[in-house]
Amino acid sequence: MEYELVCGLETHVELATKTKIFCSCTTEFGGEPNTHCCPVCIGLPGTLPKLNQSVVEFAVMAGLATDCAISPISKMDRKNYVYPDLPKAYQISQYDRPLCKNGYVELSDGRKIRLTRIHIEEDAGKLVHQRGNTLVDYNRSGVPLIEIVSEPDIRSIEEAVEYVEKLQMIMRYIGVSDCRMQEGSLRCDVNISVRPKGSEKLGTRTEIKNMNSISHMMKAMEYERDRQIDLLESGESVLQETRRYNEGTGCTEGMRGKEDAHDYRYFRDPDLVTIRVTSDTVAKLKAQMPEDPRTRLKRFESEYGLPEDDARMLIEHRRIADYFEKASAGIKNTRAVANCITGPIFARLGSEAAKDDFKVNVSPENLNALIKLLDSGKIRMNLVKSTLEKMLDTGKSASEFLNEKDLAGIDAETLQKICKQAVQDNPNAVKDYRNGKTKALKAVLGAVMKATRGRANPLETEAILSEIMKKAD
Amino acid sequence: MVTHEDILKIAKLAKLYVSPKELDRLTKDLNQMIAFTDTINTAAAKANDFDNINGLENAFRKDEPAPSFGRDEILKNAKNCEDGYFLVRRRV
Repeated sequence: MEYELVCGLETHVELATKTKIFCSCTTEFGGEPNTHCCPVCIGLPGTLPKLNQSVVEFAVMAGLATDCAISPISKMDRKNYVYPDLPKAYQISQYDRPLCKNGYVELSDGRKIRLTRIHIEEDAGKLVHQRGNTLVDYNRSGVPLIEIVSEPDIRSIEEAVEYVEKLQMIMRYIGVSDCRMQEGSLRCDVNISVRPKGSEKLGTRTEIKNMNSISHMMKAMEYERDRQIDLLESGESVLQETRRYNEGTGCTEGMRGKEDAHDYRYFRDPDLVTIRVTSDTVAKLKAQMPEDPRTRLKRFESEYGLPEDDARMLIEHRRIADYFEKASAGIKNTRAVANCITGPIFARLGSEAAKDDFKVNVSPENLNALIKLLDSGKIRMNLVKSTLEKMLDTGKSASEFLNEKDLAGIDAETLQKICKQAVQDNPNAVKDYRNGKTKALKAVLGAVMKATRGRANPLETEAILSEIMKKAD
Repeated sequence: MVTHEDILKIAKLAKLYVSPKELDRLTKDLNQMIAFTDTINTAAAKANDFDNINGLENAFRKDEPAPSFGRDEILKNAKNCEDGYFLVRRRV
Protein backbone atom coordinates (compact mmCIF):
# COMPACT_ATOMS: atom_id res chain seq x y z
CA MET A 1 0.00 0.00 0.00
CA GLU A 2 1.16 3.54 -0.63
CA TYR A 3 1.41 5.78 2.40
CA GLU A 4 1.37 9.51 2.90
CA LEU A 5 3.36 11.37 5.53
CA VAL A 6 1.54 13.89 7.71
CA CYS A 7 3.64 16.23 9.79
CA GLY A 8 3.31 19.30 11.97
CA LEU A 9 6.17 21.18 13.57
CA GLU A 10 6.66 22.97 16.85
CA THR A 11 9.57 25.32 16.35
CA HIS A 12 11.34 27.03 19.22
CA VAL A 13 13.13 30.22 18.27
CA GLU A 14 15.35 32.07 20.74
CA LEU A 15 14.70 35.79 20.54
CA ALA A 16 17.62 38.16 19.99
CA THR A 17 16.90 40.37 22.99
CA LYS A 18 19.80 41.58 25.10
CA THR A 19 18.30 40.33 28.34
CA LYS A 20 16.28 37.36 29.54
CA ILE A 21 12.50 37.30 29.48
CA PHE A 22 11.88 37.99 33.20
CA CYS A 23 15.17 39.42 34.50
CA SER A 24 18.06 41.63 33.37
CA CYS A 25 20.66 38.86 32.98
CA THR A 26 22.35 38.71 29.59
CA THR A 27 21.17 36.25 26.93
CA GLU A 28 24.67 35.91 25.46
CA PHE A 29 25.43 32.39 24.21
CA GLY A 30 28.05 30.41 26.10
CA GLY A 31 29.86 31.85 29.12
CA GLU A 32 31.12 29.90 32.11
CA PRO A 33 28.32 27.82 33.68
CA ASN A 34 25.96 29.70 36.01
CA THR A 35 27.51 33.11 35.41
CA HIS A 36 24.48 34.64 33.61
CA CYS A 37 22.16 34.04 36.54
CA CYS A 38 20.29 35.87 39.26
CA PRO A 39 17.69 34.87 41.87
CA VAL A 40 14.85 35.28 39.31
CA CYS A 41 16.23 32.93 36.66
CA ILE A 42 17.38 30.29 39.14
CA GLY A 43 13.88 30.31 40.62
CA LEU A 44 14.57 31.35 44.19
CA PRO A 45 11.44 31.81 46.28
CA GLY A 46 10.22 35.34 46.80
CA THR A 47 11.53 36.69 43.51
CA LEU A 48 9.29 38.54 41.09
CA PRO A 49 9.51 38.05 37.31
CA LYS A 50 9.07 41.17 35.19
CA LEU A 51 8.30 40.82 31.51
CA ASN A 52 10.79 42.18 28.97
CA GLN A 53 8.93 44.56 26.62
CA SER A 54 11.13 43.63 23.64
CA VAL A 55 10.05 39.99 23.97
CA VAL A 56 6.43 40.99 23.39
CA GLU A 57 7.40 43.29 20.52
CA PHE A 58 9.59 40.68 18.80
CA ALA A 59 6.86 38.04 19.13
CA VAL A 60 4.29 40.42 17.63
CA MET A 61 6.70 41.12 14.75
CA ALA A 62 7.14 37.37 14.22
CA GLY A 63 3.35 37.10 14.12
CA LEU A 64 2.98 39.95 11.64
CA ALA A 65 5.66 38.45 9.38
CA THR A 66 3.72 35.18 9.24
CA ASP A 67 0.29 36.75 8.71
CA CYS A 68 -0.95 35.93 12.20
CA ALA A 69 -3.74 37.71 14.01
CA ILE A 70 -2.32 39.53 17.04
CA SER A 71 -4.29 38.96 20.24
CA PRO A 72 -5.24 42.24 21.91
CA ILE A 73 -5.25 40.51 25.30
CA SER A 74 -2.97 37.73 26.41
CA LYS A 75 -1.42 36.42 29.59
CA MET A 76 1.31 34.18 30.97
CA ASP A 77 0.63 30.73 32.44
CA ARG A 78 2.60 28.25 34.50
CA LYS A 79 3.28 24.87 32.94
CA ASN A 80 4.16 22.55 35.75
CA TYR A 81 6.65 19.74 35.42
CA VAL A 82 9.49 18.47 37.53
CA TYR A 83 12.83 18.16 35.84
CA PRO A 84 16.15 19.73 36.87
CA ASP A 85 16.42 21.94 33.76
CA LEU A 86 13.67 24.09 35.30
CA PRO A 87 14.60 25.45 38.72
CA LYS A 88 11.05 26.54 39.61
CA ALA A 89 9.43 23.21 38.68
CA TYR A 90 7.29 25.15 36.23
CA GLN A 91 7.95 26.94 32.99
CA ILE A 92 6.32 30.30 32.41
CA SER A 93 4.61 29.98 29.03
CA GLN A 94 1.29 30.83 27.39
CA TYR A 95 -1.57 28.35 27.35
CA ASP A 96 -4.98 29.45 26.12
CA ARG A 97 -4.17 33.06 25.22
CA PRO A 98 -1.15 33.05 22.90
CA LEU A 99 0.08 36.39 21.53
CA CYS A 100 -0.41 35.38 17.89
CA LYS A 101 -2.84 33.04 16.13
CA ASN A 102 -3.81 31.72 12.70
CA GLY A 103 -0.90 32.59 10.44
CA TYR A 104 0.81 30.77 7.64
CA VAL A 105 4.13 30.25 5.89
CA GLU A 106 4.04 29.97 2.11
CA LEU A 107 6.23 27.37 0.39
CA SER A 108 7.83 27.98 -3.01
CA ASP A 109 5.11 26.01 -4.80
CA GLY A 110 2.53 28.36 -3.29
CA ARG A 111 1.22 25.86 -0.71
CA LYS A 112 0.47 27.42 2.64
CA ILE A 113 1.51 25.73 5.87
CA ARG A 114 -0.93 27.08 8.45
CA LEU A 115 0.33 28.24 11.84
CA THR A 116 -1.91 27.51 14.79
CA ARG A 117 -0.20 29.93 17.12
CA ILE A 118 2.94 31.69 18.25
CA HIS A 119 3.46 32.14 21.97
CA ILE A 120 6.24 33.42 24.23
CA GLU A 121 7.92 31.41 26.98
CA GLU A 122 11.18 30.98 28.84
CA ASP A 123 13.92 28.56 27.84
CA ALA A 124 15.18 25.93 30.29
CA GLY A 125 18.70 25.37 31.59
CA LYS A 126 21.26 23.04 30.08
CA LEU A 127 21.90 19.59 31.52
CA VAL A 128 25.11 17.63 31.20
CA HIS A 129 24.63 13.98 32.12
CA GLN A 130 27.62 12.12 33.45
CA ARG A 131 27.68 8.77 35.22
CA GLY A 132 24.75 8.72 37.64
CA ASN A 133 24.65 12.48 37.97
CA THR A 134 23.48 15.52 36.12
CA LEU A 135 25.31 18.84 35.99
CA VAL A 136 23.05 21.87 35.61
CA ASP A 137 23.91 25.21 34.00
CA TYR A 138 21.17 27.85 34.26
CA ASN A 139 22.73 30.40 31.88
CA ARG A 140 20.05 29.58 29.30
CA SER A 141 17.27 29.46 31.87
CA GLY A 142 14.95 32.39 31.17
CA VAL A 143 16.24 33.16 27.69
CA PRO A 144 13.15 34.25 25.72
CA LEU A 145 11.66 31.87 23.17
CA ILE A 146 8.79 31.96 20.79
CA GLU A 147 7.15 28.64 20.02
CA ILE A 148 5.69 28.51 16.52
CA VAL A 149 3.15 25.72 16.17
CA SER A 150 2.10 24.59 12.70
CA GLU A 151 -0.99 22.65 11.68
CA PRO A 152 -0.33 19.11 10.36
CA ASP A 153 -0.11 20.51 6.83
CA ILE A 154 3.34 19.20 5.89
CA ARG A 155 3.28 16.21 3.51
CA SER A 156 6.92 15.36 2.89
CA ILE A 157 10.39 15.60 4.40
CA GLU A 158 11.32 18.15 1.71
CA GLU A 159 8.37 20.33 2.72
CA ALA A 160 9.41 20.13 6.36
CA VAL A 161 12.92 21.28 5.43
CA GLU A 162 11.61 24.11 3.28
CA TYR A 163 9.22 25.18 6.03
CA VAL A 164 12.03 25.37 8.61
CA GLU A 165 14.31 27.23 6.20
CA LYS A 166 11.54 29.70 5.37
CA LEU A 167 10.90 30.32 9.06
CA GLN A 168 14.61 30.82 9.58
CA MET A 169 14.77 33.34 6.76
CA ILE A 170 11.72 35.27 7.94
CA MET A 171 12.87 35.46 11.57
CA ARG A 172 16.39 36.54 10.60
CA TYR A 173 14.97 39.09 8.20
CA ILE A 174 12.88 40.89 10.75
CA GLY A 175 15.79 40.64 13.16
CA VAL A 176 14.02 38.79 15.96
CA SER A 177 16.48 35.86 16.02
CA ASP A 178 19.70 34.65 14.41
CA CYS A 179 18.09 31.17 14.17
CA ARG A 180 21.35 29.22 14.49
CA MET A 181 20.44 25.58 14.82
CA GLN A 182 23.99 24.60 15.84
CA GLU A 183 23.80 27.03 18.79
CA GLY A 184 20.29 25.88 19.65
CA SER A 185 18.62 29.18 18.83
CA LEU A 186 16.22 27.27 16.55
CA ARG A 187 14.98 23.80 17.58
CA CYS A 188 12.12 21.70 16.30
CA ASP A 189 9.79 19.08 17.71
CA VAL A 190 8.39 17.04 14.84
CA ASN A 191 4.90 15.50 15.07
CA ILE A 192 4.67 12.77 12.52
CA SER A 193 2.16 10.16 11.37
CA VAL A 194 1.42 8.16 8.24
CA ARG A 195 -1.84 7.19 6.57
CA PRO A 196 -2.87 5.31 3.44
CA LYS A 197 -2.59 7.67 0.49
CA GLY A 198 -5.95 9.27 -0.23
CA SER A 199 -7.24 8.74 3.31
CA GLU A 200 -8.61 11.78 5.13
CA LYS A 201 -8.26 10.33 8.61
CA LEU A 202 -5.10 11.19 10.53
CA GLY A 203 -3.00 8.27 11.76
CA THR A 204 -1.65 7.97 15.31
CA ARG A 205 1.24 10.37 15.67
CA THR A 206 4.52 10.34 17.50
CA GLU A 207 6.54 13.37 18.50
CA ILE A 208 10.30 13.52 17.96
CA LYS A 209 11.79 16.00 20.39
CA ASN A 210 14.50 18.60 20.01
CA MET A 211 15.86 18.35 16.48
CA ASN A 212 18.82 20.72 16.33
CA SER A 213 19.95 20.34 12.73
CA ILE A 214 18.21 20.02 9.37
CA SER A 215 20.14 16.86 8.49
CA HIS A 216 19.19 15.16 11.77
CA MET A 217 15.60 16.21 11.26
CA MET A 218 15.56 14.66 7.78
CA LYS A 219 17.11 11.40 8.99
CA ALA A 220 14.82 11.20 12.01
CA MET A 221 11.71 11.80 9.89
CA GLU A 222 12.77 9.21 7.35
CA TYR A 223 13.41 6.62 10.05
CA GLU A 224 10.20 7.38 11.88
CA ARG A 225 8.07 7.32 8.72
CA ASP A 226 9.49 3.92 7.71
CA ARG A 227 9.10 2.56 11.24
CA GLN A 228 5.43 3.54 11.34
CA ILE A 229 4.77 2.10 7.87
CA ASP A 230 6.46 -1.18 8.88
CA LEU A 231 4.27 -1.38 12.00
CA LEU A 232 1.07 -0.82 10.01
CA GLU A 233 2.12 -3.22 7.27
CA SER A 234 2.72 -5.97 9.82
CA GLY A 235 -0.73 -5.40 11.30
CA GLU A 236 0.49 -3.65 14.45
CA SER A 237 -0.47 -0.16 15.53
CA VAL A 238 1.57 2.96 16.22
CA LEU A 239 1.79 3.94 19.87
CA GLN A 240 1.25 7.63 20.56
CA GLU A 241 4.42 8.64 22.35
CA THR A 242 7.31 11.05 22.58
CA ARG A 243 10.52 9.82 20.95
CA ARG A 244 14.08 11.00 20.75
CA TYR A 245 16.47 10.76 17.82
CA ASN A 246 19.70 8.92 18.54
CA GLU A 247 22.41 10.52 16.40
CA GLY A 248 24.70 7.55 16.91
CA THR A 249 22.33 4.86 15.62
CA GLY A 250 20.21 7.05 13.31
CA CYS A 251 17.09 5.62 15.01
CA THR A 252 14.29 7.15 17.04
CA GLU A 253 13.67 5.71 20.51
CA GLY A 254 10.61 5.88 22.77
CA MET A 255 10.92 8.27 25.72
CA ARG A 256 7.52 8.13 27.37
CA GLY A 257 4.17 6.72 26.41
CA LYS A 258 0.78 8.36 26.50
CA GLU A 259 -0.09 6.73 29.83
CA ASP A 260 2.64 8.85 31.40
CA ALA A 261 1.55 11.91 29.45
CA HIS A 262 2.23 14.92 31.58
CA ASP A 263 -0.58 16.67 33.24
CA TYR A 264 0.92 20.15 33.16
CA ARG A 265 -1.73 21.68 35.41
CA TYR A 266 -1.56 24.96 33.53
CA PHE A 267 -2.79 27.97 35.41
CA ARG A 268 -2.32 31.70 35.11
CA ASP A 269 0.91 33.01 36.57
CA PRO A 270 -0.31 35.31 39.32
CA ASP A 271 3.02 37.19 39.33
CA LEU A 272 2.55 38.51 35.80
CA VAL A 273 -0.12 40.93 34.70
CA THR A 274 -2.24 40.97 31.57
CA ILE A 275 -0.54 41.81 28.28
CA ARG A 276 -2.50 44.23 26.13
CA VAL A 277 -1.31 44.86 22.59
CA THR A 278 -3.17 47.84 21.17
CA SER A 279 -3.75 48.41 17.48
CA ASP A 280 -1.46 51.45 17.81
CA THR A 281 1.36 49.23 19.04
CA VAL A 282 0.77 46.81 16.19
CA ALA A 283 0.80 49.67 13.66
CA LYS A 284 4.01 51.08 15.16
CA LEU A 285 5.78 47.71 15.00
CA LYS A 286 4.53 47.09 11.47
CA ALA A 287 6.03 50.41 10.39
CA GLN A 288 9.40 49.46 11.91
CA MET A 289 9.57 46.12 10.16
CA PRO A 290 11.72 45.77 7.06
CA GLU A 291 10.16 44.81 3.74
CA ASP A 292 9.32 41.13 3.87
CA PRO A 293 11.45 38.76 1.77
CA ARG A 294 8.65 37.80 -0.65
CA THR A 295 7.95 41.42 -1.65
CA ARG A 296 11.64 42.19 -1.83
CA LEU A 297 12.26 39.26 -4.17
CA LYS A 298 9.65 40.54 -6.61
CA ARG A 299 11.02 44.07 -6.36
CA PHE A 300 14.60 42.93 -7.01
CA GLU A 301 13.38 41.23 -10.17
CA SER A 302 11.39 44.20 -11.45
CA GLU A 303 13.39 47.17 -10.16
CA TYR A 304 16.90 45.83 -10.78
CA GLY A 305 16.09 43.48 -13.66
CA LEU A 306 17.71 40.51 -11.91
CA PRO A 307 16.97 36.91 -12.88
CA GLU A 308 14.95 35.15 -10.17
CA ASP A 309 17.83 32.89 -9.07
CA ASP A 310 20.18 35.84 -8.54
CA ALA A 311 17.50 37.81 -6.73
CA ARG A 312 16.80 34.81 -4.50
CA MET A 313 20.47 34.45 -3.51
CA LEU A 314 20.63 38.14 -2.61
CA ILE A 315 17.46 38.41 -0.56
CA GLU A 316 18.02 35.29 1.53
CA HIS A 317 19.99 37.28 4.08
CA ARG A 318 18.86 40.78 4.88
CA ARG A 319 22.35 42.25 5.27
CA ILE A 320 23.28 41.02 1.80
CA ALA A 321 20.12 42.46 0.26
CA ASP A 322 20.76 45.79 2.01
CA TYR A 323 24.37 45.75 0.80
CA PHE A 324 23.26 45.07 -2.77
CA GLU A 325 20.83 47.98 -2.72
CA LYS A 326 23.46 50.38 -1.39
CA ALA A 327 26.05 49.20 -3.90
CA SER A 328 23.54 49.53 -6.75
CA ALA A 329 22.65 53.18 -6.12
CA GLY A 330 22.77 54.99 -9.47
CA ILE A 331 24.16 51.93 -11.29
CA LYS A 332 22.93 50.88 -14.73
CA ASN A 333 24.56 47.47 -14.75
CA THR A 334 22.99 46.13 -11.56
CA ARG A 335 23.55 42.55 -12.71
CA ALA A 336 27.28 43.23 -12.45
CA VAL A 337 26.78 44.28 -8.82
CA ALA A 338 24.82 41.05 -8.23
CA ASN A 339 27.54 39.00 -9.93
CA CYS A 340 30.26 40.60 -7.81
CA ILE A 341 28.35 39.63 -4.67
CA THR A 342 27.31 36.10 -5.66
CA GLY A 343 30.75 35.46 -7.23
CA PRO A 344 33.93 36.81 -5.59
CA ILE A 345 32.26 37.94 -2.35
CA PHE A 346 30.27 34.73 -1.70
CA ALA A 347 33.40 32.71 -2.47
CA ARG A 348 34.93 34.20 0.66
CA LEU A 349 31.94 33.41 2.88
CA GLY A 350 31.86 29.71 3.60
CA SER A 351 28.88 29.00 5.78
CA GLU A 352 25.30 30.24 5.90
CA ALA A 353 26.17 31.81 9.26
CA ALA A 354 28.98 33.78 7.59
CA LYS A 355 26.54 34.95 4.93
CA ASP A 356 24.14 36.00 7.64
CA ASP A 357 26.86 37.98 9.44
CA PHE A 358 28.08 39.29 6.08
CA LYS A 359 31.32 40.79 7.32
CA VAL A 360 32.96 41.97 4.09
CA ASN A 361 35.84 44.44 4.04
CA VAL A 362 34.66 46.15 0.87
CA SER A 363 32.07 48.77 1.71
CA PRO A 364 29.00 49.01 -0.56
CA GLU A 365 30.19 52.53 -1.46
CA ASN A 366 33.54 51.15 -2.69
CA LEU A 367 31.83 48.45 -4.75
CA ASN A 368 29.51 51.13 -6.11
CA ALA A 369 32.50 53.24 -7.19
CA LEU A 370 34.06 50.23 -8.91
CA ILE A 371 30.90 49.35 -10.85
CA LYS A 372 30.48 53.01 -11.87
CA LEU A 373 33.78 52.65 -13.78
CA LEU A 374 32.23 49.68 -15.58
CA ASP A 375 29.04 51.62 -16.28
CA SER A 376 30.97 54.48 -17.87
CA GLY A 377 32.94 52.04 -20.06
CA LYS A 378 36.27 52.91 -18.43
CA ILE A 379 36.99 49.32 -17.42
CA ARG A 380 35.72 45.86 -18.39
CA MET A 381 34.16 43.12 -16.27
CA ASN A 382 37.34 41.01 -15.97
CA LEU A 383 39.21 44.01 -14.59
CA VAL A 384 36.30 44.63 -12.22
CA LYS A 385 36.59 41.09 -10.89
CA SER A 386 40.37 41.11 -10.48
CA THR A 387 40.27 44.55 -8.84
CA LEU A 388 37.49 43.39 -6.51
CA GLU A 389 39.64 40.44 -5.44
CA LYS A 390 42.43 42.87 -4.51
CA MET A 391 39.96 45.08 -2.66
CA LEU A 392 38.68 42.05 -0.74
CA ASP A 393 42.24 41.09 0.16
CA THR A 394 43.16 44.51 1.48
CA GLY A 395 39.97 46.43 2.25
CA LYS A 396 41.27 49.32 0.11
CA SER A 397 39.24 51.17 -2.52
CA ALA A 398 39.38 50.53 -6.27
CA SER A 399 41.45 53.64 -7.00
CA GLU A 400 44.38 52.07 -5.14
CA PHE A 401 44.65 49.33 -7.77
CA LEU A 402 43.67 51.02 -11.01
CA ASN A 403 46.28 53.26 -12.62
CA GLU A 404 45.64 55.92 -15.23
CA LYS A 405 46.47 53.49 -17.98
CA ASP A 406 43.81 51.05 -16.73
CA LEU A 407 41.23 53.80 -16.69
CA ALA A 408 42.25 55.48 -19.89
CA GLY A 409 40.57 52.89 -22.05
CA ILE A 410 41.90 52.46 -25.56
CA ASP A 411 41.66 55.04 -28.26
CA ALA A 412 40.17 53.98 -31.58
CA GLU A 413 43.43 54.22 -33.52
CA THR A 414 45.38 51.98 -31.15
CA LEU A 415 42.55 49.47 -31.07
CA GLN A 416 42.43 49.41 -34.86
CA LYS A 417 46.19 48.74 -34.91
CA ILE A 418 46.00 45.94 -32.34
CA CYS A 419 43.10 44.34 -34.24
CA LYS A 420 45.02 44.37 -37.51
CA GLN A 421 47.99 42.77 -35.79
CA ALA A 422 45.78 40.08 -34.26
CA VAL A 423 44.28 39.26 -37.66
CA GLN A 424 47.74 38.93 -39.16
CA ASP A 425 48.84 36.67 -36.32
CA ASN A 426 45.90 34.29 -36.74
CA PRO A 427 45.67 33.36 -40.43
CA ASN A 428 43.95 30.05 -39.74
CA ALA A 429 41.14 31.67 -37.81
CA VAL A 430 40.66 34.17 -40.61
CA LYS A 431 40.45 31.34 -43.13
CA ASP A 432 37.87 29.50 -41.03
CA TYR A 433 35.90 32.69 -40.62
CA ARG A 434 35.75 33.27 -44.34
CA ASN A 435 34.59 29.68 -44.80
CA GLY A 436 31.56 30.44 -42.71
CA LYS A 437 32.80 29.45 -39.25
CA THR A 438 31.77 32.68 -37.55
CA LYS A 439 32.91 31.33 -34.19
CA ALA A 440 36.52 31.63 -35.37
CA LEU A 441 36.22 35.35 -34.69
CA LYS A 442 36.26 34.62 -30.95
CA ALA A 443 39.83 33.31 -31.15
CA VAL A 444 41.00 36.59 -32.68
CA LEU A 445 38.93 38.56 -30.18
CA GLY A 446 40.70 36.65 -27.41
CA ALA A 447 44.06 37.72 -28.80
CA VAL A 448 42.98 41.38 -28.80
CA MET A 449 41.70 41.12 -25.23
CA LYS A 450 44.99 39.61 -24.16
CA ALA A 451 46.97 42.32 -25.88
CA THR A 452 44.84 45.07 -24.28
CA ARG A 453 44.69 43.37 -20.87
CA GLY A 454 40.94 43.27 -21.17
CA ARG A 455 40.53 47.00 -21.63
CA ALA A 456 39.01 46.80 -25.09
CA ASN A 457 35.24 46.92 -25.43
CA PRO A 458 34.32 43.44 -26.70
CA LEU A 459 31.39 44.58 -28.88
CA GLU A 460 33.35 47.37 -30.48
CA THR A 461 36.32 45.06 -31.06
CA GLU A 462 34.12 42.39 -32.63
CA ALA A 463 32.78 44.93 -35.11
CA ILE A 464 36.27 46.10 -36.07
CA LEU A 465 37.55 42.53 -36.38
CA SER A 466 34.73 41.29 -38.57
CA GLU A 467 35.25 44.24 -40.89
CA ILE A 468 39.00 43.60 -41.17
CA MET A 469 38.57 39.86 -41.58
CA LYS A 470 35.96 40.21 -44.31
CA LYS A 471 38.18 42.33 -46.53
CA ALA A 472 41.66 41.13 -45.52
CA ASP A 473 43.71 39.36 -48.17
CA MET B 1 -17.76 12.87 38.30
CA VAL B 2 -14.39 11.77 39.63
CA THR B 3 -13.81 8.04 39.22
CA HIS B 4 -11.44 5.51 40.79
CA GLU B 5 -9.32 5.80 37.65
CA ASP B 6 -9.00 9.57 38.10
CA ILE B 7 -7.84 9.09 41.68
CA LEU B 8 -5.24 6.53 40.58
CA LYS B 9 -3.98 8.85 37.83
CA ILE B 10 -3.67 11.82 40.18
CA ALA B 11 -1.92 9.60 42.72
CA LYS B 12 0.53 8.47 40.07
CA LEU B 13 1.31 12.04 39.00
CA ALA B 14 1.77 13.04 42.63
CA LYS B 15 3.93 9.95 43.18
CA LEU B 16 1.61 8.75 45.95
CA TYR B 17 0.58 5.18 46.72
CA VAL B 18 -3.15 4.71 47.20
CA SER B 19 -4.32 1.37 48.53
CA PRO B 20 -7.50 -0.19 47.11
CA LYS B 21 -9.36 0.26 50.36
CA GLU B 22 -8.73 4.03 50.33
CA LEU B 23 -10.16 4.44 46.85
CA ASP B 24 -13.85 4.75 47.73
CA ARG B 25 -13.27 7.32 50.44
CA LEU B 26 -10.88 9.47 48.35
CA THR B 27 -13.23 9.38 45.38
CA LYS B 28 -16.15 10.49 47.53
CA ASP B 29 -14.07 13.27 49.18
CA LEU B 30 -12.81 14.66 45.93
CA ASN B 31 -16.29 14.65 44.41
CA GLN B 32 -17.57 16.63 47.39
CA MET B 33 -14.74 19.15 47.09
CA ILE B 34 -15.42 19.68 43.43
CA ALA B 35 -19.15 20.02 44.07
CA PHE B 36 -18.34 22.73 46.61
CA THR B 37 -16.10 24.71 44.27
CA ASP B 38 -18.72 24.29 41.54
CA THR B 39 -20.64 27.02 43.37
CA ILE B 40 -18.47 29.49 41.49
CA ASN B 41 -20.21 28.51 38.25
CA THR B 42 -23.44 30.01 39.57
CA ALA B 43 -21.83 33.47 39.59
CA ALA B 44 -23.08 35.66 36.76
CA ALA B 45 -19.72 36.23 35.11
CA LYS B 46 -18.35 35.79 31.63
CA ALA B 47 -15.01 34.16 30.95
CA ASN B 48 -13.51 37.51 29.90
CA ASP B 49 -14.25 39.01 33.29
CA PHE B 50 -11.24 37.13 34.60
CA ASP B 51 -8.85 38.47 31.98
CA ASN B 52 -7.70 41.30 34.12
CA ILE B 53 -8.86 40.70 37.62
CA ASN B 54 -6.56 43.20 39.35
CA GLY B 55 -6.84 45.86 36.65
CA LEU B 56 -3.11 45.84 36.00
CA GLU B 57 -1.63 45.45 32.56
CA ASN B 58 1.59 45.83 30.62
CA ALA B 59 4.00 45.95 33.55
CA PHE B 60 7.07 45.80 31.36
CA ARG B 61 10.79 46.02 31.87
CA LYS B 62 13.11 47.70 29.34
CA ASP B 63 15.51 45.35 27.57
CA GLU B 64 18.59 46.69 29.35
CA PRO B 65 21.16 44.29 30.79
CA ALA B 66 22.27 44.51 34.39
CA PRO B 67 25.11 42.54 35.97
CA SER B 68 24.25 38.98 36.99
CA PHE B 69 25.11 37.57 40.40
CA GLY B 70 28.53 36.06 41.03
CA ARG B 71 28.65 32.32 40.56
CA ASP B 72 29.61 31.66 44.18
CA GLU B 73 26.54 33.58 45.27
CA ILE B 74 24.34 31.60 42.83
CA LEU B 75 25.70 28.24 44.02
CA LYS B 76 25.76 29.18 47.70
CA ASN B 77 22.58 27.34 48.66
CA ALA B 78 23.14 24.33 46.41
CA LYS B 79 23.35 21.00 48.20
CA ASN B 80 25.94 19.79 45.72
CA CYS B 81 27.95 21.45 43.00
CA GLU B 82 30.85 20.56 40.75
CA ASP B 83 32.99 22.70 38.41
CA GLY B 84 30.59 25.61 38.68
CA TYR B 85 27.53 23.47 37.95
CA PHE B 86 24.68 22.46 40.20
CA LEU B 87 24.97 18.73 40.72
CA VAL B 88 21.80 16.62 40.99
CA ARG B 89 21.06 12.93 40.81
CA ARG B 90 20.28 11.81 37.28
CA ARG B 91 16.58 11.34 36.47
CA VAL B 92 14.92 9.61 33.50
